[in-house]
Amino acid sequence: MTKILLIEDNPYDARLVKQILKHHDCQFLHAQDATSGLELAVEHRPDLILLDMGLPDLDGQTVMTLLQRRTELKAMPVVAVTAWPPDTAREMAKAYGCAGYISKPIKARQFYAQITAYLASDSE
Amino acid sequence: MTAKKRSVELFPATAFPIETLTETYNRARIDYIVPMPMNVARMRAYIHNYDVELESSVIATLGREIVGLGMLGVRDQRAWITRLGVAPNKRRNNAGQGMMEYLIQQAKERGAQQVTLEVIKDNWPAFYLFKKLGFHVTRELLVLRRPPIKAQLKRKPYTLTFLDAATVSALLEGRQSQPSWLDELPSLRKAGNLEGLKIRLVDGSYGWVAYQHALYQLARIVLQPETGDKMTVAHALLHALHTRHLLHDTKLENLPAVDPYRKVFEEFGYLVSFTRIEMHLDLS
Repeated sequence: MTKILLIEDNPYDARLVKQILKHHDCQFLHAQDATSGLELAVEHRPDLILLDMGLPDLDGQTVMTLLQRRTELKAMPVVAVTAWPPDTAREMAKAYGCAGYISKPIKARQFYAQITAYLASDSE
Repeated sequence: MTAKKRSVELFPATAFPIETLTETYNRARIDYIVPMPMNVARMRAYIHNYDVELESSVIATLGREIVGLGMLGVRDQRAWITRLGVAPNKRRNNAGQGMMEYLIQQAKERGAQQVTLEVIKDNWPAFYLFKKLGFHVTRELLVLRRPPIKAQLKRKPYTLTFLDAATVSALLEGRQSQPSWLDELPSLRKAGNLEGLKIRLVDGSYGWVAYQHALYQLARIVLQPETGDKMTVAHALLHALHTRHLLHDTKLENLPAVDPYRKVFEEFGYLVSFTRIEMHLDLS
């Protein structure tokens, strides 16, 4: 079963992602801040991390810096989830080592296809 | 029968615990492009570092519900409005304007001659509210980030001296650039963990860079080439900084868009995250 970790402080977005993923063969893990997200990443080694770039304790870029420093977490695919303008999101996600980005607001109908694209590209 | 329209009421922020202030701030910005949420520890540090006076800051309520927050920093005869926001489903009730007028009045009572604020570029409702209240644009400020990448650019040879916090603090007294509130000397001193590097090129030209050195991140960078070709010195300073701290992420807030060394920052991989507009209101 695919494990997906969402690091997201916005309860509405977290609820929406949980709703979307419950219709698919996924184990959904959720952290409300960066610190607990990093702990869950170490403990569960998810197949994909969905990372909100604005978190209450550390921002997304700092989380990426910490993930990249840990050998066992470095290869884990991370997708930035952000309301940044597309050009900024693309540039920042690439610079910080994310596999890509998904724009907010989350589009429920497209969301699962968006994340499976990152899972597929990771397994190639 | 028509429903009675509830009106906004304003209260000093000291009437509420910091947990409520933090939650109100986060809720007010949830739909922002750059929400920048905070936890209580970060809010506490923010209040400390930027001289925010809670007795001059404000909470707005509508009925029995808390709907907005605005904070006021005070230094000498200047004030700074920050963290202003209203919950998305409670806007258009004049809470924002009411809080702004309250904060401006507080600034006057504290003897401020000028009020400063920053608004994220393209936040038009806020921008026009500030214009309506008499604020004028002073400059654009950039928020930049640099991931931990190796400084591979060619550089001219230099000698390097490490500077401790006391030396950096003294050097910052002679700073040439005009900082925003976030990077004024009181902010830097209160934020702590200041360090610096001084470099001297073979032709004798020199300069220094001050920065905050946290565990994983460099921040609050102040670049000051002193003599010689200043672009060359700026280049050498950033080379020294990022060679010394190879694995650090870097955050640079409120670099003026017209800063003479902006191109040098960009050469070293700094990316624009977003832009703020700085505005002033003259009270004198």
